[in-house]
Amino acid sequence: MTDSYEPRIIAFLCNWCTYTGADLAGTSRLQYPPNVRVVRMMCSGAVDPVYVLKPLLDGADGVLIGGCHPGDCHYQTGNYKTRRRYVAMREILKSTGLDDTRIWLRWISASEGQRFAETITEMVASLKELGPSPMRVAWAV
Amino acid sequence: MNTIIPVENHGVLAALRGFLKRLLDEKIVEALLVPLTHGGSVSPALVTNSAMLDEADPLMPIMPINTARAVSALTGKKAPTKLGVVLRSCEIRALVELVKLQQATLDDVTLIGIDCAGTCELDEFLTSNSWNNESLAAYLSAAHDGIEPEIKPALRVACQMCVRPAPENVDIHIHLFGADTTVVLPMTVKDEIAEKLHLTEAVQGEAWSVESSRVATAQLIGIRQKVRESELSSIRAKMNSNGGVAGMFSSCVRCHNCMTACPICYCKTCLFKTAAFDHEPDYYLNATHRKGATRMLGDTLLFQLTRMNHMSASCVSCGACTSACPANIPVGSIFSAVAEKVQAAFEYEAGHDVAEALPLITFHPNEWTEVGEEK
Repeated sequence: MTDSYEPRIIAFLCNWCTYTGADLAGTSRLQYPPNVRVVRMMCSGAVDPVYVLKPLLDGADGVLIGGCHPGDCHYQTGNYKTRRRYVAMREILKSTGLDDTRIWLRWISASEGQRFAETITEMVASLKELGPSPMRVAWAV
Repeated sequence: MNTIIPVENHGVLAALRGFLKRLLDEKIVEALLVPLTHGGSVSPALVTNSAMLDEADPLMPIMPINTARAVSALTGKKAPTKLGVVLRSCEIRALVELVKLQQATLDDVTLIGIDCAGTCELDEFLTSNSWNNESLAAYLSAAHDGIEPEIKPALRVACQMCVRPAPENVDIHIHLFGADTTVVLPMTVKDEIAEKLHLTEAVQGEAWSVESSRVATAQLIGIRQKVRESELSSIRAKMNSNGGVAGMFSSCVRCHNCMTACPICYCKTCLFKTAAFDHEPDYYLNATHRKGATRMLGDTLLFQLTRMNHMSASCVSCGACTSACPANIPVGSIFSAVAEKVQAAFEYEAGHDVAEALPLITFHPNEWTEVGEEK
């Protein structure tokens, strides 16, 4: 695509792990691309599929869900449910012929600032390769 | 146990009504939920006066609503009395899902399931106004032979591709498949109910046997399996072609009829019925600057995809959504195609077993362990 294309990513991060991890990336002055807009959630298990689908259909190029590693959920089991919901959501997108590769789920702990920075870098690179979301110009969804 | 109610001159419907009356009269149940004839159609009704059962007609091939919703309204967390419910197989499957969603209970409920040879679209059925004893005879004779009934109007698409037409997990299973209902009305009844009614073990023979029932059911399922495969593969081809799923829902007017008719969508306040998607005027103009144009009936695909995420794991393919759609979108086939994949991913079969946990509220720590760990 054109050089001017910069992917726009909406990230839903769990308060206890990934959001704190992102904070650590910042306070550690780690460099990562500024393409992400963060929404802080109390738990990745609180990310209803509608929150992910709305930005995607409105033209966001990617959506990231960040949660605690399995077994580390602040609410014991929230992220296990996130995982099943994510599996279902990708299955639904795939079977309706929509692109399921624009949704990422990553477990990033509060101490993994480096992993957060790497994930965003990696996601931006991957979305650049994929090109802008066709939903950017889909007027009738 | 298997038992046989003889069918006399008045026909199978009279025999069925007679049996239902006994359930009320002999206090097997205190109230019975059953379709009553009503203005050329039937409506599910709660009956305590057995004389009203002269109007009962569970054999008329229409399903105005998926009656599982009515059972939910009647039972909630606890049934107020001993309740009998006469349901089609897809209604039973929906009820099982509603029980798991804690919207209904089976305690004190006697489930009466009738082999379902299929139903017609309500509007077409009412317009054709041609249902009579002959069409009933043709309908039942097809059920006897395990083939599609040649009735007018045609069966709903959901019924043509229904591969689970026989009720499962019921207290009383009334057999139509493989049964010569001009002479017998066979049923499989739970022992404790059979005992109270002093029913006797059926003498199996030419008119009906467990084997004839099995053969006819399997044959009908075979026919419908083929229809299902071709319908779903044509839907999948459309979803993967130009225009895709967005194109298929392009005529959606977001009236929410599919959601209202869906037996699984029980939420009292659906997000899509709130003001959550009523944006400030600026929002639309901003979006239009971005996209060049904005459809001023937004979020239709969002509505459909969200509904898929919320309920497809429990979709029982009853097709109530298709029947409710004013824009003739094959909603039920689209949802069935998606639900099949989702349920397969979780090795789950909606409506099959009350003890099986809903896929999205349960989990196992050691599944999909690769998800989220990608580098």
